[in-house]
Amino acid sequence: MRKDTPKISSISGKEIATMSAYGYKDYTILKKVLKILGWCVVISVAIMLYLSIFVIFIYSINSNKSVNEFGEVTLKWYKEIWTHRMLRTSIINTFAVSLVATLLSTIFGTLIAIGIYSAAKKKQKWMMLLNNIPLLNADIVTGISLMLIFSLLLRIFPYIFGFPTLIIAHVYFTLPYVILNVLPKLREMDPNLIDAALDLGVKPKKAIWKVVVPAVKSGILSGVLMAFTMSFDDFVISYFTTGNGFDNLSIWIYGSIGRKDLTPAVYAFNSLVIFGAMAILLSVNAVRRKNLKRSRKS
Amino acid sequence: MNKRFQKLATPYLIWLYILALFPAVFMFGLMFFNMEGIDTDEISFTFENFKQLAEPSTRIALLNSLKFSVLSTALCILLGYITAYFLYKSHIQNKFLVLTILILPMWSNLLLRTQALANIMEPNNIFTSLFHIQVKEDAVGIAGGDLAVIIGSVFTYLPFMILPIYTALEKIDPMLEEASLDLGSNEFTTFRRVTLPLSLKGVVTGSVMVFLPCMSGFAIPEILGKGNIVMIGNIIEQFFKNMNYNIGSLLAIVILILILASIALVNKFDKDGETVL
Repeated sequence: MRKDTPKISSISGKEIATMSAYGYKDYTILKKVLKILGWCVVISVAIMLYLSIFVIFIYSINSNKSVNEFGEVTLKWYKEIWTHRMLRTSIINTFAVSLVATLLSTIFGTLIAIGIYSAAKKKQKWMMLLNNIPLLNADIVTGISLMLIFSLLLRIFPYIFGFPTLIIAHVYFTLPYVILNVLPKLREMDPNLIDAALDLGVKPKKAIWKVVVPAVKSGILSGVLMAFTMSFDDFVISYFTTGNGFDNLSIWIYGSIGRKDLTPAVYAFNSLVIFGAMAILLSVNAVRRKNLKRSRKS
Repeated sequence: MNKRFQKLATPYLIWLYILALFPAVFMFGLMFFNMEGIDTDEISFTFENFKQLAEPSTRIALLNSLKFSVLSTALCILLGYITAYFLYKSHIQNKFLVLTILILPMWSNLLLRTQALANIMEPNNIFTSLFHIQVKEDAVGIAGGDLAVIIGSVFTYLPFMILPIYTALEKIDPMLEEASLDLGSNEFTTFRRVTLPLSLKGVVTGSVMVFLPCMSGFAIPEILGKGNIVMIGNIIEQFFKNMNYNIGSLLAIVILILILASIALVNKFDKDGETVL
């Protein structure tokens, strides 16, 4: 958009029609203002997302146990992560539940996605609708639903509440993420590939492992990432489905906040997780860029 | 694909019937009965439970939930759309990095983040201590008020709004915008008549993703509201904690109806579920 309005008819020398005469309005300044305003919003959103994480980081290096007063910089809380018994147990529980649940939902989710993909259209639609329930359902309703089911099972398996129920619950709400990530990749895949493999005498199991899984591995990877993220940070569903004495980190934190005896070591652990996640994601990013460059060259 | 792989999905169907559909039916049944915990010894059929819906405490909680989640969702739409649009327009080549920045905060524990927000809403907080700011004696923080809960919800659920909108924007064919500009409409008209309608399904998905957890959550109002603000999630939690499964189920069903309506809404706008993730 040029600011100087060009003359449209200057041949006759008398009538000079500008672009605004044709209904052109000069929005250059307005656009600039909007752009600046927009970037202000983006920056404040970034602050909103990271403010609490920044505060948690400050707590983690604060020698003063109070959350409102800063003493001096210390790293002692990072040491306490390993010595605080309750915290350590809940961290181990969290990792155990998330890792097992993510592993199970990745394997089953991929197989289920293949099953849904090869099902008839009508069945596919019905399954996708059901698949949305764990995803969109409110955590509290999901948690209560699962708790009711598990209490019915209590008569048969008296010790079910705890690790087993948490695993079932976490697999339940992470499966849809894996399925929804794998399914689009299956749709992008050449449908003849699998038929070719089967025609050439490969057993179906091997065909899945050797043909389908490599074709959809990027979908599986993002599914794993999402499933683990959701499982790791879950509070409400775990809160309703765990048994006495088996606390994951969120449940333990909730209890500690209620008792007002939250140790700063938990802030230290949280900051470590953020740094770890940042390192992992940035290195994945670096690897991806390298691969992209290589594929562009060849 | 080969039809023989179909049966891989069958166990999942059974799994969903047992864990997703059956509990809903079960809760629906529970709300007509009266019993102690899950014990079926002293069970009796009753409509008494429905009186709970007329109780002022329930009504206030429901209205609170609606009010806070509508306000937070509206704020999230405004902030989320602008952010997603500028990220999309900035032509960042690296989509993965954008997603990383948005997802990273979710790795931090939700309760800790909420607690941290609650702490800095106090008049005397870590920043005033860090920068030696003198706080007036009679200064009042915003913790415990309506604003605190809305801020908490917006800060927490904003990524769930930005991600679907960004995904929807990414999927718009850039040719469409060029065509619109070539055909004589300016950028504003192009945005209003081309980009905005096409990205609407992302907005719908995002709104549902923000609205539902806002509506049913109980940790944020409890920590940021300091017990002053009771939402429907808190009441449900209380009933189940006190082993009153019948009234708890009734209230859960109320939420479930809202959720089913939302799922129908998403299905209507986004048939393939492209923006759900």
